[in-house]
Amino acid sequence: MANIFPRGSNILPLKIVLILAVIGPALTAGAWYYFTPKYTRVGYQPAQPVPFPHDIHAKQLGMDCRYCHSHVEVAAHSNVPTTQVCINCHYAVQKENPKLAPLHESWLTGKPIEWVQIHKTPDYVYFNHAAHVNRGVSCVSCHGKVNEMSVVYHAEPHSMAWCLDCHRNPAAALRPLDQITNLDWTPKELNVAEFVGKYGKPPGEEEVDFTQKTTLTQEQIGKTLAAQWHIKAPDMNCAGCHR
Amino acid sequence: MSKRVFQHPAPSTTGKKYWRSLGELGDTPEFRGWLEREFPQGAAEFQGGDVSRRNFLQLMGASMALAGFGLTGCRRPEKHLVPFTRGVEWSIPGKTLFFSTSYPTRKGAAPLVVATHDGRPTKIEGNPLHPASKGASDLLAQASILDLYDPDRSKHFWTMERGAKGGKRSDEASFLKALDAVIKGAGDGAGLAFLVEQNDSPSRERLRAEIEKKFPNATWAIYEPLGDEGGDAVYGGVRAVPKLDKAAVILSIDHDFLGNDGDVALCKAFSAARRVDDGPDSKMNRLYTVENRYTVTGGIADHRLRLPVSQMGAFVRALAEQIQQKTNDAGVLQLLQAAPVAGVKFPAGWVEEAAADLFAHKGRAVVLVGPRQPDGVQALGAAINAMLGAPGATLGGRKSSVKPGASIVDLAARIKEKQVKALFILGGNPAYNAPADLHWAELQGSVETVVRLGHYEDETSKGATWHVPAAHYLETWGDGRATDGSYTSVQPMILPLYGGWSELDLLAAIARGKKAEGPELVQETYQELVKPNDFVAGWAKFLHDGFVAGETPKDEVLSFNNAVAIDAVKKVAVGMPAQSGLEVVFVACPKVDDGRFNNNGWLQEIPDPMTKLTWDNAALLSPATARQLGVKDGGMLEITVNKASLTIPALLFPGHADNSISIALGYGRAVTGRVGRGTGFNAYPLRTTETPYFALGATAKATGKTYQLAVTQEHGTLEGRGPDLTRQANVEDFKAHPEMIRKSGMDAHIPPNVSLYTNPELKDLHQWGMTVDMSLCTGCSSCMVACQAENNIPIVGKEQVINGREMHWIRTDRYFASLSDEEGDPEVISQPMMCQHCENAPCETVCPVNATVHSEDGLNVMAYNRCIGTRYCANNCPFKVRRFNFFDYNQRDVLGRKEGKTFSGVYEWNLVSEKGMEDSLKMSKNPNVTVRMRGVMEKCTFCVQRIQEAKIAAKVSGRDSTKVEDITIPADSFTSACAQACPSDAIVFGDISNKESKVSKLREKERGYRLLEYLNVLPRVTYLARIKNPNPKMPGFEKIGEAMKSHHHGPKHEGSTAPAGGHH
Repeated sequence: MANIFPRGSNILPLKIVLILAVIGPALTAGAWYYFTPKYTRVGYQPAQPVPFPHDIHAKQLGMDCRYCHSHVEVAAHSNVPTTQVCINCHYAVQKENPKLAPLHESWLTGKPIEWVQIHKTPDYVYFNHAAHVNRGVSCVSCHGKVNEMSVVYHAEPHSMAWCLDCHRNPAAALRPLDQITNLDWTPKELNVAEFVGKYGKPPGEEEVDFTQKTTLTQEQIGKTLAAQWHIKAPDMNCAGCHR
Repeated sequence: MSKRVFQHPAPSTTGKKYWRSLGELGDTPEFRGWLEREFPQGAAEFQGGDVSRRNFLQLMGASMALAGFGLTGCRRPEKHLVPFTRGVEWSIPGKTLFFSTSYPTRKGAAPLVVATHDGRPTKIEGNPLHPASKGASDLLAQASILDLYDPDRSKHFWTMERGAKGGKRSDEASFLKALDAVIKGAGDGAGLAFLVEQNDSPSRERLRAEIEKKFPNATWAIYEPLGDEGGDAVYGGVRAVPKLDKAAVILSIDHDFLGNDGDVALCKAFSAARRVDDGPDSKMNRLYTVENRYTVTGGIADHRLRLPVSQMGAFVRALAEQIQQKTNDAGVLQLLQAAPVAGVKFPAGWVEEAAADLFAHKGRAVVLVGPRQPDGVQALGAAINAMLGAPGATLGGRKSSVKPGASIVDLAARIKEKQVKALFILGGNPAYNAPADLHWAELQGSVETVVRLGHYEDETSKGATWHVPAAHYLETWGDGRATDGSYTSVQPMILPLYGGWSELDLLAAIARGKKAEGPELVQETYQELVKPNDFVAGWAKFLHDGFVAGETPKDEVLSFNNAVAIDAVKKVAVGMPAQSGLEVVFVACPKVDDGRFNNNGWLQEIPDPMTKLTWDNAALLSPATARQLGVKDGGMLEITVNKASLTIPALLFPGHADNSISIALGYGRAVTGRVGRGTGFNAYPLRTTETPYFALGATAKATGKTYQLAVTQEHGTLEGRGPDLTRQANVEDFKAHPEMIRKSGMDAHIPPNVSLYTNPELKDLHQWGMTVDMSLCTGCSSCMVACQAENNIPIVGKEQVINGREMHWIRTDRYFASLSDEEGDPEVISQPMMCQHCENAPCETVCPVNATVHSEDGLNVMAYNRCIGTRYCANNCPFKVRRFNFFDYNQRDVLGRKEGKTFSGVYEWNLVSEKGMEDSLKMSKNPNVTVRMRGVMEKCTFCVQRIQEAKIAAKVSGRDSTKVEDITIPADSFTSACAQACPSDAIVFGDISNKESKVSKLREKERGYRLLEYLNVLPRVTYLARIKNPNPKMPGFEKIGEAMKSHHHGPKHEGSTAPAGGHH
């Protein structure tokens, strides 16, 4: 009887297995990496109509975030400043700088500047800035060190899993309210005596003597604040963000 | 341990039956179809206009092929953030701003607070500061916001020369020029005439005075098709205003004071006096109603007599006679002698016992006679009230600040005599709704210049030489007077979207040569009327509060003038007996009113509170009369009266008076927008000057043709579990055996259930719950429109409603209840039904993708983006409250609704229509609620967006406080949209874990029961049973008392330990 299958087909099963073993995981890994916000969003850095350098304003000049993003503490939406806010200083400062031409044009014509949106949440997600910045979550937790960016880019993935990571363990992000807009703050800067005096000792460490300690870890700070402010895995149900 | 054996007991076959439709009563195959399937036969099939499954696949194939090019979906679209150039006062992007205003209606201005988002008004609420609203609003006010964004609104000036075919688009400048010419040539105004709607605006009165000064011979006519017949004459021009909170016994005769004939203030006052268990001082009033068809007032009445409208006069006369015999009032005797005696028989004892009860409560009783009844009938009613000591006690008086004008009949006469050269029609729509015998359209065509200010380009605009687009009341400055006489403000929330003019603008242009640019006109009126010490502060407060507090006019004295009454009685045959033939009653539609809301999709799709009819009107008649005429539901009837005839489908309406046909006005418009086109049948041609309300001597014959009506009464039926769902008792029985409410129906038989599921404990700081008091709920459906506006609920069109796909998150189930299969005199009970937020929710356990889950604060939440549309949840919901988006109702909501597209005639959904929502409709959406897409399930969320907002507000104000109280939402500091709108305070929403909240107190009441308790689903909604307060001496009392007794096995059951699972 003649051979129906050529000799080469003997290794066909092996080939199939190999291909499946390589291509399958490669596709999965590829999608895992390339199709997630970690890849698609982080690093997005569009050019803005006016090249506003956050590093100069926030870092060098030491302006507070809330000078421009003035409604962040009261509204869900953190506003982009009106032309009027920019003009407060730039009617005099750097008046002749050609980069500011669109700004002056906007002020004279009344036509608003169209800033390119970087951080976007989908329409079915209802994120609230006020709820976060008033309860111990700093700007830096979600937006990165904007004060060091000369052109702002998307620093964190802003995916649902990323949101949930923090909501499951808010202690990792909480800090005293007076340090919310201080993007360079580290736990080392905390005055331990004052903190312990105000909020008490971290939960589970009531026996420890903190008078001799000069620093607390983020976890110690976060846990103390979460306990004192009654923050327990907030809104871990769909309706917290989806309405 | 023996195994628990449990057989589901058969529903009790004795006692009161609860049914939603005659189909259910007769158990027809069509009804079984509704019952047994979650959605009706074929609902899951593809039905979208004329698209078959086959060409759907073709379309799909084509769109798939197109989708391959360019991979446009993979690119990140660049979006922009566009801040203001200069900051706007009070504006915080993303925050709701509230402004107070008022909605001018013929009954008076309704005080409102309007929520605006980034400059767009999105939601209307009542004004909580105003005593006539107390935060509540009716369904017309709720829905009026949709008219602002109606894409079919009039957007342009039009001019049409006499004799020309069709008009041409014009502009404001040309109009001003033409107007100038008219004014210059008007002389003393003999050729000028104005036709306006009824409105109490003091600014309008001021401009009218200026116009009358400038043109002393001008005619000023006022016309309202559903206006009052004027019962004020007997009080010397003072209007009697009922004070229902002071009344213990109320008899309403053809007066729908909780519905069309009343306002929010009356509902509030009535419900305030109808609380059986609101503390030791709570008193429950008693309501007798005489009406020809079920209205919301009749539905909640303790005793109801159905009577043709033409016999109401005879009834009032008989009642006056009874009471006169007790008081021996000589004046009323004269009045009775002047009124002819009728040959009408009433059920034995009805008039006598009602009269005795009224008289026994002298000073705390009131008789309300329908405002559209003839003057003579109202005069007799006033005489009864005088004998009962009502004026000054249960009736207040209010003098209108508006000078009376000519009637439309006077104006028609002047036009016929060719005396009118220029006619200004401000609002209204006389070419459609004027009495038929005036032949208004022809009359209007004979006037040289007709200037029409209209919200739509409608029938009247077609016959005008100039059409001026009217501004919506949310776009203009103005003022008004609320029903209590207080001075209210009307302020713009947004600039006119299409450059419309307000009535005041046009009048100012005529009186002063130019229209006001801002509020200056109203400011002058305010200055003149209020005379504030500090104008700036006073004006700011006026706008903030929405009215001038403390300036409400005092009650006028109501002095009954017998001589005037005798005159009125003589003029109108009060004791009119039923003539041969049928009577036709032209009733006000609770939804489209006189036709002005004809193009409002929300109102078209809300089921009528009583008939449950959507998208149409019909000839309502009793089942007995229908049998005589040989028609069934939807059978066409040719009705002839006043030498005109109308072919209209019949709708059998249990509880309707025999030999009487009610037809709602406002439908069958010839020229209307894309929503209203093809809806209903126009009854105005049957209506004449002599018979504005009802016409006698009508004939009706069945044509044999049928018409499909979209009636929702059988949608979402709950397996005939009426007695378990709706519970009622009369007050005596309830006080004797309060436990009977909870031990009723199945709950009387079934032992406590054991759950197979273990649910995590709900530990959140707040736990949300709701109570619905069925003693107070009239079924008015304000909650439905409020929910629709708040939650971006789309309309789906008549065809989809017929398929059972209406999207309302809250519905009002209307049940008829009767002791046997009788269909003539059933009782009515309305039950708002929304997601019950079961703690042990059956929907959650069947969702394969966890799209519906429970939150820690007790909500059954729905994640639209997870939903894959299996609809298992809807199948497993015992309350049938889940709604499925069969189509993209938001994206392709109307066939060819884009401007310039052709339209097939009936508002319907169609797959091939262009995608995308009209821009103006996008503006109407609440930005805090997701606009849902095709293929997802949705349902009541307890207004989770309001909950989240309140929670966040508490946390923001608490900030770093270590006290729990500081981050807790204060009790009753916010509420859901339905509860906020409810004019009767029937719905209460709040935190049940807070002992201070209203809802936590209400749900502990003995009247409270949860639906289908025996299923152990643990709803978060508690219903409070309806308690009736019938008069034991009245005929039919035993039927009302019987309501609960039959279901409930009485107190003898207490303590008897039935074996587990056993049933007798």
